[in-house]
Amino acid sequence: MAASAVTAVRGWSGLLLGVRSVVLRLPGLTQVRWSRYGPEYQDPQIDKGYYRKPLAALTEEEKYERELRKTQVIKAAPATRTSSVFEDPVISKFTNMMMKGGNKILARSLMTQTLEAVKRKQFEKYHAASPEEQATIERNPYTIFHQALKNCEPVIGLVSILKGGHFYQVPVPLADRRRRFLAMKWMITECREKKHRRMLMPEKLSQELLEAFHNRGPVIKRKHDTHKMAEANRALAHYRWW
Amino acid sequence: MAALRVSCGAAASYRLFLGGRVSFARGQGLWKAAAAKPQRSPGCQILRLRHTTVVTTRKNVAVLRRETYTVDFIKKQIEEFNIGKRHLANMMGEDPETFTQEDIDRAIAYLFPSGLFEKRARPIMKHPEEIFPKQRAIQWGEDGRPFHFLFYTGKQSYYSLMHEAYGKLLDVENRQDQLRAKGLFSEKTKAKDPIGSRWLIKEELEEMLVEKLSDQDYAQFIRLLERLSALPCDAAEEEFVGRFRRSVTIQSKKQLIEPLQYDEKGVAFSTGQGNRKTAKAKVAVYDHGSGRIEVNGVDYLLYFPVTQDRFFFSLLPKL
Repeated sequence: MAASAVTAVRGWSGLLLGVRSVVLRLPGLTQVRWSRYGPEYQDPQIDKGYYRKPLAALTEEEKYERELRKTQVIKAAPATRTSSVFEDPVISKFTNMMMKGGNKILARSLMTQTLEAVKRKQFEKYHAASPEEQATIERNPYTIFHQALKNCEPVIGLVSILKGGHFYQVPVPLADRRRRFLAMKWMITECREKKHRRMLMPEKLSQELLEAFHNRGPVIKRKHDTHKMAEANRALAHYRWW
Repeated sequence: MAALRVSCGAAASYRLFLGGRVSFARGQGLWKAAAAKPQRSPGCQILRLRHTTVVTTRKNVAVLRRETYTVDFIKKQIEEFNIGKRHLANMMGEDPETFTQEDIDRAIAYLFPSGLFEKRARPIMKHPEEIFPKQRAIQWGEDGRPFHFLFYTGKQSYYSLMHEAYGKLLDVENRQDQLRAKGLFSEKTKAKDPIGSRWLIKEELEEMLVEKLSDQDYAQFIRLLERLSALPCDAAEEEFVGRFRRSVTIQSKKQLIEPLQYDEKGVAFSTGQGNRKTAKAKVAVYDHGSGRIEVNGVDYLLYFPVTQDRFFFSLLPKL
């Protein structure tokens, strides 16, 4: 039952609802440690399709969920979210990771230039290729970007564990978000460090993305090195306690 | 003849006693041997210096105990409040019979204007029930025997409530069994909880029972009520469960929707305002528009050259 104790709107009549206090909450309402919102606040629904769906097409569950949402308090949408068709959460995350010193304008422009460079390179290849090969060449920069990052994701990771005064590299399973983060981090680090001084970031990044798309290149090599280290250290796997 | 014995000590302070008590110092290094008792020779007083340290004496502070308000005291307060309410209505020139709490609040704010930032520190005039905390009457008689049979559980109101709720649950189940025996039972699946109400929160339940509860007690109680409400209940049971539900407001009702305004050409428009930190914004939206958005007289593309600043325009519904 949705209106049960575990999802009860929590607020003391005297205090402001929404301001986090030190009171321990009931299980079922998750707390985020440094969020200024209380646990009763729901995330905003930005998808326009959700609102444009006709009432007749809704299932009972969806109707109930909408009625429930009318009584819930909603957080404000962050400035980076939009309901545009061009929004891509992976691109946004990558842009944020590339950003230095809060210069989002520069990071975004680098990202768009990278995607443009990828597209141009692929189109050159397309026009230079024979009709049979043309079918295999991928020209959409977004699919190339997603596939490249997916190819860079490690399956297993290594963690430094202190035991007996020494640090050991222990193989450890990774959560999905950690894998995605590592793929993006390796890509950005590689492009920042291993390029010629005069080469610009979009050029280098587009090059690396295309190589990763074809499962070759330094980032893929780093992923394989991680896998080999994990395989070599598999005897230390029992050092992990979680 | 006065024999004066003086000896220096680094941090010792000196007290002159005339046959006084010896006060003991706390620090070892500071304490010097107390002088002997003053010897009274006939005819003269011997003054001896005693070397002591300053010792703080305990003040007679009354132990802070929770104020207990007797029933008579509360009754007297309520009478005074009601009479005061009528006087206040008279002072404000209003009808004493139809003087509500909001009127009282307004009158007090008018008569005692306060600039204090803390709203709870401003003068208030409320019903004594809201001001004096609810307290429990003495739970036992003159012979020392408690009135309630569950007194020795420590949480008598809570356990008696659980007892009552479980009794109701058993009644409902008995009724169902009887119907099933007669063959008149129909498997009616109850509709999901209507969204307009929620269960009491733990603080509200504690206030109702005038007892401290733990989180597990509260969760147990709510589980029991949910079990009860899931079964087909009588009006009495529904009323019992209804006592522990509070209504929930629809959030959009809290927004003030102003009526449409019309300009000289008859075009409908609506205004709104908002602020963020020190920035203030006023918006006017016109009917039958061209889709252009102007900010401070300049097109929004020129005012917000950065793409991210224009993101929120996509969140506006296209009507």
